Amino acid sequence: MKNSIKRFKESYLFYSFKRDKTAMASFVILVIFLLLSLAAPLISPYNPYDAKTTDLMNAEIPPAFMAEGTSEFLLGTDNMGRDLLSTMFYGLRISVLIGLGAVFLQATIGIMVGLTAGYMGGKVDAVLMRIADIQFSFPYLMVAIFISAIFQLMFGIGSFEQLSVPLLVVIIGLAEWPVYARTIRASVMGEKNKEYVEAARVIGLSRPVIMFRHVLPNTLTSVMVISTIQVANAVMSEAALSFLGLGMPVTMPSLGSLIKSGFEYIFSGVWWITIFPGIFLILFVLVINLLGDWLRDVLNPKLYKG
Amino acid sequence: MKKFVVVGLTLFMVLAVGFSANAKTLKVGLDADPVSLDIQVQLSGGMLQLSHWSFDPLVRWTQEMTFEPRLATKWERMDDLTMRFYLRKGVKFHSGNPFTAKDVKWTFDRMRKSIDYKGLIEPFVGIDVVDDHTIDIKTKKPYALLLNMATYFFPMDSVFYTGTDETGQPKDAIVKIGPSFALNNSSGTGPYVVTSREQGVKMVFDRFKDYWDTKSPGNVDQIILTPIKEDATRVAALLSGDVDFISPVPPQDFKRIEKDANVKLETINGGRIITFQMNSERRPEFKDLKVRQAMVYAVNNAGIVKKLMKGTATVAGQQGPEGYAGYKASLKPRYNLKKAKSLMKEAGYANGFECTMIAPNNRYVKDEKIAEAVVQMLAKINIKVNLKTMPKAQYWDEFDAKVADIQMIGWHSDTEDSGNFSEFLAMCPNKETGHGQYNSGMYCNKTVDELTMAAQSETDLAKRAAMLQKIEQILYDDAAFIPLHWQNISYAGKNNVGIAPVINAMNFPYLGDIVVK
Repeated sequence: MKNSIKRFKESYLFYSFKRDKTAMASFVILVIFLLLSLAAPLISPYNPYDAKTTDLMNAEIPPAFMAEGTSEFLLGTDNMGRDLLSTMFYGLRISVLIGLGAVFLQATIGIMVGLTAGYMGGKVDAVLMRIADIQFSFPYLMVAIFISAIFQLMFGIGSFEQLSVPLLVVIIGLAEWPVYARTIRASVMGEKNKEYVEAARVIGLSRPVIMFRHVLPNTLTSVMVISTIQVANAVMSEAALSFLGLGMPVTMPSLGSLIKSGFEYIFSGVWWITIFPGIFLILFVLVINLLGDWLRDVLNPKLYKG
Repeated sequence: MKKFVVVGLTLFMVLAVGFSANAKTLKVGLDADPVSLDIQVQLSGGMLQLSHWSFDPLVRWTQEMTFEPRLATKWERMDDLTMRFYLRKGVKFHSGNPFTAKDVKWTFDRMRKSIDYKGLIEPFVGIDVVDDHTIDIKTKKPYALLLNMATYFFPMDSVFYTGTDETGQPKDAIVKIGPSFALNNSSGTGPYVVTSREQGVKMVFDRFKDYWDTKSPGNVDQIILTPIKEDATRVAALLSGDVDFISPVPPQDFKRIEKDANVKLETINGGRIITFQMNSERRPEFKDLKVRQAMVYAVNNAGIVKKLMKGTATVAGQQGPEGYAGYKASLKPRYNLKKAKSLMKEAGYANGFECTMIAPNNRYVKDEKIAEAVVQMLAKINIKVNLKTMPKAQYWDEFDAKVADIQMIGWHSDTEDSGNFSEFLAMCPNKETGHGQYNSGMYCNKTVDELTMAAQSETDLAKRAAMLQKIEQILYDDAAFIPLHWQNISYAGKNNVGIAPVINAMNFPYLGDIVVK
């Protein structure tokens, strides 16, 4: 354990991280965001998903620093009378959950398909890649409408609230896996003719062992880079779906649905419902993207081994 | 003396020039323009608006929901099946032809051929011409809503529409898609003559010089109608002064319009009731009267009107709004959380239960937000509601399939009559007769059914009103549904446009009477 920490400290990754102020700042903000989302039920002043505690009569109270604001609701309330700050924490929690979940699903499907296609080549490759092409040609909105219709048929209207998070994970996960599959396939094609693979084959290792123990680890750099970007993408997709009313149920607003519900009021002076969650979402996605950028530069062998 | 004459003449000339230069033009921005000049080709709000601008009905509704004589000056009931109408004399069509009883009969007969109107005039046998200015309207059964229906009769110029046009097609042909004479030509008795029309772009109306209603205060010489589909664009057009009058006004822009000193907002109770129906066949708890009552008591509909509708709706406690025959003033909205909680306790559901709800998200004003608020309110009496909202394209199939325990529906009565609500929303659902077609709550009460049917053929209006009020009372006591509010119809215009006197619950602004200062 100690050894590995020491190894990490001496690594190029940590070295360049220490020297990159943007990366450090992004990392700190990201950690704060993750902590906030994890601790949302503990630190939020209210539970916005509990209909019992919210009162419509508190709707559209401005933030505390404005003349009509009260200290009860620090950032004001939304159009349903929920405390905006608490709702943002809970919304962030959902965004993070969906982001990570969807990326995990995408990565799992994508790696399997990409690895198989790239290593096997030939007909298997052609078939799998065409499936990926077909999947890519469906807009994820259509996939979303399609899957939610099937879900409703299977489980009925009542379970929609409990199922909406897994549902969104499946929708976004299924819609974007070809991104992984394509990238992995490309790196696998580059790796599979190298000497170490040949050596492994010569000593008689089985195909799955070569694929997963030897080839896969060498392609993981690109997976890490895409993953950061895909988390941000998934969060944005969730926001977009909820904005269109296909995502989270209205009684459990995520960041996207909060932005949507405030959008109608933005001209009539009730700007805080959209602006605060909007800033929150932009910041969250921005730091992930910045970290992703930094990671790409660091892990790109051409840039440092040269 | 001569001086006086000169001064007088000069003054007169200045005034005259001033007046003629002051020809009033009203620029109107609506969400859509009428699809045709043939008023019988489609039964829709937009076409009926046009009908009121360039035609005249036999009678029309006032703001107080009473009948105002138009082309019919008076009427009397001859027997249970016949009503005699005396027609106005000296009325001319835009073409110059005189208006007679023949035109009314001709119009009615043409309505029979219109797919859209056929159903509406189904209770009628026909029109008998007694003399040039007297007609008898006959119905198949005693029919209480004969006058309500007479608001749909807009006499057309029978001479003008007779013959064949240059393509050899009869001029009176009702053609839904494709060219026809009536599509581009019209001759009615109304206050405005259509002088130019470019579908989807612009429509120009000029005041009819020989208009019979010389008492009308309307002083607008020309109306220019521009369809502006986008809500935000329409509001922007009014605020920037491109148009003088817009409808509909999106509620989120009410504040913006009220803040602007140059424009004003006018709303009127539109009579569309928004309700939630509780399905007692899906959910046994709803069979318990106390549970239903508790739910009605738990919903703060006044709060919804104040916070979500921004005051642009009227809080409801019953189906029909004020002015309708069945309206009973004593049936007040009843929000009382304490009472709701104690009712739940009495019913044995102090710990509540879980159920489902569906609502549309683009059909009624703020529909999704309203549903969300009701979920919040029902949670306070421990009823946990799982809500799903969806676009209207999906919603009605789900509504008909009764997929959820609580379903939202809004209803506006075509006949502006209370009976219509009960017929579709409160009668026991019956596939054969079509009664209770939109009663997704499956509420069923024999007395309500009997009273509704009896009211349909009762021609004594006082007796009929008593029946309809009794229905409202029963539904109120039974907590047959959760009433929320009646939506208002909203208009906005520049300060010099006299909107308030010409609007009504049907959303047919009588632009013929509009005054522009």
